[in-house]
Amino acid sequence: MTIGSFILKNALRNKRRALLSVLSVAVSLFLLVTLLVALREMTVPAEDVRAAQRIAVRHRVSLANLLPARQLSVIQRIPGVAGVTPFTYYGGKYKNEEIPSFAQFAMDPLQMTNIFGEAKVASEQLAAWYKDRRSCIVGKLTMERYKFKLGDTLPMTSMLWPCDLEFKIVGVYEGTPDDRNVMFHHKYLDEASGNTGMVGTWWVRANSLEEVPLVVERINKAFANTSAEVLAETERAFVMSFVSMWGNIKVFIGTICSVVVFTLVLVSASTMSMAIRERFRELAVLKALGFQRRELFAFILAESFGLAMTGAIIGVGGAWALYTHANINQLTNGFFIVAEVTPRIMGMAFIVAAGLGIISSLLPSLAVARTTVVEGLRTLD
Amino acid sequence: MAQPPVVQIRKLTKIYRQGEINVTALNDVSLDIAASEYLTLMGPSGSGKSTLLHIIAGIDRPTRGQCQVQGVDVTALSESALADWRNRNVGFVFQTFNLIPVLTAYENVELPLLLTGLSGRLRRKQVQSALEMVGLADRAKHLPRQLSGGQEQRVAIARALVTDPNLIVADEPTGNLDSQSAQDVLGILQSLSKSAAKTVIMVTHDPKAAAFGSRTVHLEKGELTNGSPA
Repeated sequence: MTIGSFILKNALRNKRRALLSVLSVAVSLFLLVTLLVALREMTVPAEDVRAAQRIAVRHRVSLANLLPARQLSVIQRIPGVAGVTPFTYYGGKYKNEEIPSFAQFAMDPLQMTNIFGEAKVASEQLAAWYKDRRSCIVGKLTMERYKFKLGDTLPMTSMLWPCDLEFKIVGVYEGTPDDRNVMFHHKYLDEASGNTGMVGTWWVRANSLEEVPLVVERINKAFANTSAEVLAETERAFVMSFVSMWGNIKVFIGTICSVVVFTLVLVSASTMSMAIRERFRELAVLKALGFQRRELFAFILAESFGLAMTGAIIGVGGAWALYTHANINQLTNGFFIVAEVTPRIMGMAFIVAAGLGIISSLLPSLAVARTTVVEGLRTLD
Repeated sequence: MAQPPVVQIRKLTKIYRQGEINVTALNDVSLDIAASEYLTLMGPSGSGKSTLLHIIAGIDRPTRGQCQVQGVDVTALSESALADWRNRNVGFVFQTFNLIPVLTAYENVELPLLLTGLSGRLRRKQVQSALEMVGLADRAKHLPRQLSGGQEQRVAIARALVTDPNLIVADEPTGNLDSQSAQDVLGILQSLSKSAAKTVIMVTHDPKAAAFGSRTVHLEKGELTNGSPA
């Protein structure tokens, strides 16, 4: 027998309780990882050099206010601007769907590869899109989800614009942070809606990362005190402001995470206290045989730490396996495209588990240290 | 020349505090115990015999007085030094056996050896020899619940012997046993004193059990009622 096997036998003496303890840690940490992953997916836009160079320009009052199309030439002339495209949300429902299940954006197709350089589209498909004003390119995830094929038509009914559109799919794009959208000609929307001369937003690419703050400032200044003042901001800031529209989701999810961790600490500490209380007499015998307080503390700590870590391996490992190998897009019905369990999230979950193991062992260890051999021997089994 | 006593107790007093009341468990007890002696401590409940045994074994501390065991003043040792000292010098046998239920008989006996730094091979040898001494070598792989009360107590004796201590303390070791098992256990303790030259101190209520000892000391209300230190 070794000290390790002795600790293991003690930890597994009540197999049902050990299993339930491990499972409670595993399920809680799985939930914690899920919440952290969800929080990350909702609040941290994909980072990419090209994405960092992008600037979103919207109406200063609100995103719902449209911008005049004549702003295009002003933006094009601003120093540091490498490209600009109108980017207007169409808000169309596909066939008989009740709500839009994927987004459609009207834009300038010629700016697609310039502004969204990370998007991979076959050159012949891109050329076909340029040519046909009624055509569109569709994100790979939506193509797969609806089993669309090139040449299919997409009849769309807008919830925002007073016109229904029908797109012909001529291409597929992938490689962007969100491969679910449909991109189509802004001119098609203009024609169908009666040439309103308005766009939803402008999407701009700066020449370099260093120039992004300057370009943002210049755009904001260019339209200051006009009838359509704009708010230019980096793509990241734009996405974050979107998230803030849902309320302070970060605090909300953070609070749930804290509650999960706190409850987990209480449950584990109580389970561990119960397990040790039952063995007070045995621990007193160990003391009588010559085991020191520090050795008994090490036994309790190892047992508690071992149970917490086993739970962590199952819970965090399970979350990693699920979110890495499962089709999250399908699983969440398109709400999340991917759910990445980053090393940072896994590290956090393991730190929580380690803390849990240590905290749970403290009270029982203290009780054992305070109890003399004679008091311990008097404890009833 | 006479050998010095293994245990030398002088003016030992133990006062417990129970709420607002002080309870004197031992009052000025002085006692010498010779090497290889099989001393039995008798007395009614609450007479202080277990307290005296606990202090000699280094698991309790007196309020006043001195207790030297093999020349070491156990009352002066730190908690940590006392734990080391117990591991090397004292074997415990309890009334309720106090075996670890998840460990086999072999592993229970091996437990005190985990602190000694002995190699696995040497540990195995000592455990086998201790189990053979109590006649339970064939029960090595049994869990305590698979053993009878008498067998459990014999495993506890093997655990007490495995580190080869000079002092064996037994607190009512036959209290939970049938008469045959009790005879077996008392016989083993007697042979440890006679053949293995161990000093055995046993607390008992039972005069028949006490008859196995070489000397009996009576305690009443925390005081010795028969005789001088030696």
